[in-house]
Amino acid sequence: MTVSDLTDKCGFTLVAGNSLEAEVNSGYVGDLLSDVMGNAPSNCVWMTVQSHQNIIAVASIVNASVILLCNGRSFEDETLEKAKSTGVNLMKTPLSSFEACMKLFEAGFKG
Amino acid sequence: MMQPTTDKSSIDSLLEKLGEYFADMPASELMNPNVLTMSKDRTLWHTKELMRIRKISGVPIVDQKRRLIGLVSIEDIIVALENELIGERIEKHMTRRVVTVAPDETLTSVVAKFNRYRFGRFPVVNSEGTLLGIITKKDIIGAILERFRLMYVHDERRKSALEGTTEWFEKSLISGDYVEKDSANFAFNIDYTDVDMVGIGAAELKKFLIARGLDEQSVRRISIATYEAEVNVVIHSGSEGTIYCWMENGKTVKVRVEDTGKGIENIEQALKEGYSTASDHVRELGFGAGMGLSNMRRCSDKMMVMSEVGKGVVVEMIFEISGGKKDDSERSN
Repeated sequence: MTVSDLTDKCGFTLVAGNSLEAEVNSGYVGDLLSDVMGNAPSNCVWMTVQSHQNIIAVASIVNASVILLCNGRSFEDETLEKAKSTGVNLMKTPLSSFEACMKLFEAGFKG
Repeated sequence: MMQPTTDKSSIDSLLEKLGEYFADMPASELMNPNVLTMSKDRTLWHTKELMRIRKISGVPIVDQKRRLIGLVSIEDIIVALENELIGERIEKHMTRRVVTVAPDETLTSVVAKFNRYRFGRFPVVNSEGTLLGIITKKDIIGAILERFRLMYVHDERRKSALEGTTEWFEKSLISGDYVEKDSANFAFNIDYTDVDMVGIGAAELKKFLIARGLDEQSVRRISIATYEAEVNVVIHSGSEGTIYCWMENGKTVKVRVEDTGKGIENIEQALKEGYSTASDHVRELGFGAGMGLSNMRRCSDKMMVMSEVGKGVVVEMIFEISGGKKDDSERSN
């Protein structure tokens, strides 16, 4: 799957698309940054409720393909700016992290 | 003529040396908690078989509540065999006055007991008399080696380093050599104390390593470990800090992150997963999971932390590079 497949097949809203053809082949759910640092695999979709700018550094260090912000939250302006300058993809959804995982599953995502 | 055998076995002299560095390690960390026990109603023959099969030299005897009531050692078995008592119940022949160790007794005290009593093992028993584990000299060496995996300086070097405050910042924690900061291949000043900025240094280092042609996997673990160290400087030190990186002969990468801030009050505790002193504000941002140091330990091949309250923290990490050159498939985004 690619980043753009996530918007097309799962209905997640693209907020910042910097490299839509990036491969997504796994996923991780986490709101504690060190936990994500320690455990998120490369090329994953990272589902979280954290929206402040630190998530950009985390995503780019672990090579996450896209950050999916859950529970209908919105990214802060600084986060959007940083995403632009570092090339991290951002999406959001009204769904909870769990529901978002189910959505991925229904769309045939095999992480 | 052959030299007479030394009166000290090599394991004893090793213990003596290591003991100086780990003097304060408690028995609860030195012991083997998976101790094989028997009830007093079995026979000495059963004990002998257990010892033979599991290759152990002593078996604690416990009651139904796992309280220690005696011990059968290999000497007891030999005596029983000589006197043809091997078929009798343990209760009649076990050693009842067992010398035990409390879980909070230090390595120094345990080693002193080994020297004083010349027993091969000491059961570890809490104040209620419940058996918690057993300590042999081998268990001590094992526990110390485990500790070495994360090299942790709490010894004379640390003390002497801290007395001359500037000295500490000039020497490598791992090799003891003077650190030539000018020769670092990469240096980044963490000159901000704003949590929002965290990660800039690690991201810069990542860029640098990729440009140097390091493989993706190595870049990833070095960046993660450096990020965590950077987070610690920003969140906890209350001071500025510096990230240094040296690439040694393409096989080893050394990262050193230092600050001159508050320091870590209790390194032991700080190293435990889940322990954090982060403020509520910082926790809300998703920091302070108490996993920073353990992430650093996991990502690096060697790690050493030195700190003194009020003087700062130095973290040194060594990464062995296995992969060699980067592969060409690296994405260009």
